[in-house]
Amino acid sequence: MAQEAQKEKSMILQKEMIDGLFNDLAQVKETGKKVCYTFIPGNLSELIRTFDMLPVYPEINALQSAMRKKSGGYIKEAEKNAHSEDVCTYVKCDVGMMMKGNIGPTGTKIPEPDILLLSYTGCFTFLKWFETLKREYPNAKVIMVHTPYQENAEITPEMTQYMVKQLKEEVIPQMEEVTGIKFDEEKLKGFLRLSKEAEDWITKIFDSTKHKPSPIDAYFAGVYYIGPINIGFRGTQEAVDYYKELYDEIQERIRLGLGPITPEGEMKEEKYRLVVEGPPNWTSFREFWKIFYDMGAVIVASSYTKVGGVYDLGWRHDAERPIESLAEYCMNCYTNMNIPQRISLLSKCITDYDADGYVTNSIKSCNSFSAGQLAMMRDIEDHLEVPVGFIESDLVDPRYFSYSNIKNRLESYFQMLEQRKSLKETV
Amino acid sequence: MVTPIYTMGVDVGGSYVKAVLMSYDHDSGEHKLLDKQTEKIRKRNPKDVVVETVDAILLRNKLNFDNDIAYLASTGEGEMVEKKTGHFYSMTSHARGGIFFAPEAKTVVDMGALYVRAIKVDPRGKVIDYKMTGQCASGSGQFIENISRYLGLAIEEVGPISLKADNPEVPSGICAVLAETDVINLVSKGLSTPNIVKGINISIAQRVIKLLGSLRTESPIVLVGGMGMNEGMTQAIEELSVEKNKEDNKFISHPDSIYSGAIGAALWGGFRYYKLKEKQAAVVA
Repeated sequence: MAQEAQKEKSMILQKEMIDGLFNDLAQVKETGKKVCYTFIPGNLSELIRTFDMLPVYPEINALQSAMRKKSGGYIKEAEKNAHSEDVCTYVKCDVGMMMKGNIGPTGTKIPEPDILLLSYTGCFTFLKWFETLKREYPNAKVIMVHTPYQENAEITPEMTQYMVKQLKEEVIPQMEEVTGIKFDEEKLKGFLRLSKEAEDWITKIFDSTKHKPSPIDAYFAGVYYIGPINIGFRGTQEAVDYYKELYDEIQERIRLGLGPITPEGEMKEEKYRLVVEGPPNWTSFREFWKIFYDMGAVIVASSYTKVGGVYDLGWRHDAERPIESLAEYCMNCYTNMNIPQRISLLSKCITDYDADGYVTNSIKSCNSFSAGQLAMMRDIEDHLEVPVGFIESDLVDPRYFSYSNIKNRLESYFQMLEQRKSLKETV
Repeated sequence: MVTPIYTMGVDVGGSYVKAVLMSYDHDSGEHKLLDKQTEKIRKRNPKDVVVETVDAILLRNKLNFDNDIAYLASTGEGEMVEKKTGHFYSMTSHARGGIFFAPEAKTVVDMGALYVRAIKVDPRGKVIDYKMTGQCASGSGQFIENISRYLGLAIEEVGPISLKADNPEVPSGICAVLAETDVINLVSKGLSTPNIVKGINISIAQRVIKLLGSLRTESPIVLVGGMGMNEGMTQAIEELSVEKNKEDNKFISHPDSIYSGAIGAALWGGFRYYKLKEKQAAVVA
């Protein structure tokens, strides 16, 4: 029987926040609150809150379903209804869940959307996803924000202006219309101040991996840490309090010289420090993490923890420029960056956090992540001379997680790391 | 125990258990392969297959395990080998085994049942870098076995038959399922068995060449693992290498290549045996 997973206090706090959100969602009929479905990359949490709406994130529902071993059934349901095997499995899991009654991860029904807010960033599947949802929910209003891709590795004033115009002339008026609430800029500014505060804390938290041993795992535990800012709590005092608490816990671990807490227990010896590119596999999340744990590998930085916003390079929400700031936030998301920008960001992580290696988890059904991954890996291998590893799995489709195949590949990778390390030591 | 010592290596793979008996000479560095045995696992318990194989080698060589064997090293899936002294990771073992066959090799290509792995090595057989084929089974020896079964060939016949091809047709190199369908079509079309088998070898060789390119390997390259014994595969790799203007690449194959993991493990076992001795001596001193 598997050992019961150890939980950090922050994980418990977060569970309470999620449960609270889903309870609120279950009660919209009584409270009359409007519901806004939107995506994590480029989510306009603060704006949604300004109109007292409750957010629903289909990706979060999908990954939660996967962790509860329900995604396989949902995906099959979607495939029975003509969604191809090659379609993003977040989409199929979400669609399948909807077809099976739209029961969310906490066992309560997720209400229908009043708004489908598509502020897509770098993922074209999002467009098709909401097209599908629109067919299922014909009464929902679709609001689409076109986020320009950072093709030339920059956000120009024209790009910001283009987005601000959309936000002011299309998004805000339509939100006013659906909710019957007048836009209150001061209220938005209040949320943005709290967002900045949470972003400062989260940057410090992920920066703690500079310590040796690293007090946290910035991938497997990191996906929990980004939970609050990615599921609609960005801009709330709750999120700020959560991150303060988490930061204090981490400081204590640093003081005691402790490594990360994992579901298998505390990491005793940090043998390898890695940077990981790509989302994790959610269907076998714990087994996946355990492979790294067994090898003494700690993830000191990951790209996936940046999908809901890149704060490493100093960018923050700014209450003094509220709408411009929302526009910049969308354009600054990881999947909206071009490939050289991603390489540069991950290279900085490898250097800053003194990583021994770089591992890519290539996701079978995620184009926005998988495109360019091999080129990125080759580039990083060439210019940093760091050992690179490549594994393949999927987001939430259990059929694409081959435990022995991944373990085999990672074992080979760790053998190389070990021998490279021993060669370095003997030279 | 005086030098040389006897060490054994057991490599438990996807299809076969491979075991070797070696004499390990710490002083001269001249190690010899004394005996070897391969057993197909079929539907048996691999643990029992290992015991049978090791016992058979000991019996043939009139050796007693407890008194005569200094180190039994396992590798591959061999962590379940009950009598093992220590376990070694498969890539490390295959790299060392490759250097045993060809001490001048700079690259070892391990072509096993489940995947192909190109490994850059230093002269001691230590791994500097590596690349593996993707997850798809069309890059694996298991795929060749499936096809040979379909064509009614023994696995040993695949190499020699491939050499007789005059006009091979290459099936899909992307997916094993597609490739099997292709093979069925090729049989229906009346293509000769040598041309089908050579086509299969070429499809896998294409993956090997791609792998070598991405690793930016250096020659000489030694081919090990079960597929290393397939001379048709070696020929296909050599031909493709020339086509890609890499005629300077020198490929080395060996009739005992299937034993590379077991040999490597046995050699690392001998190395570790003496390391432990040195440590114990230092503690006593």
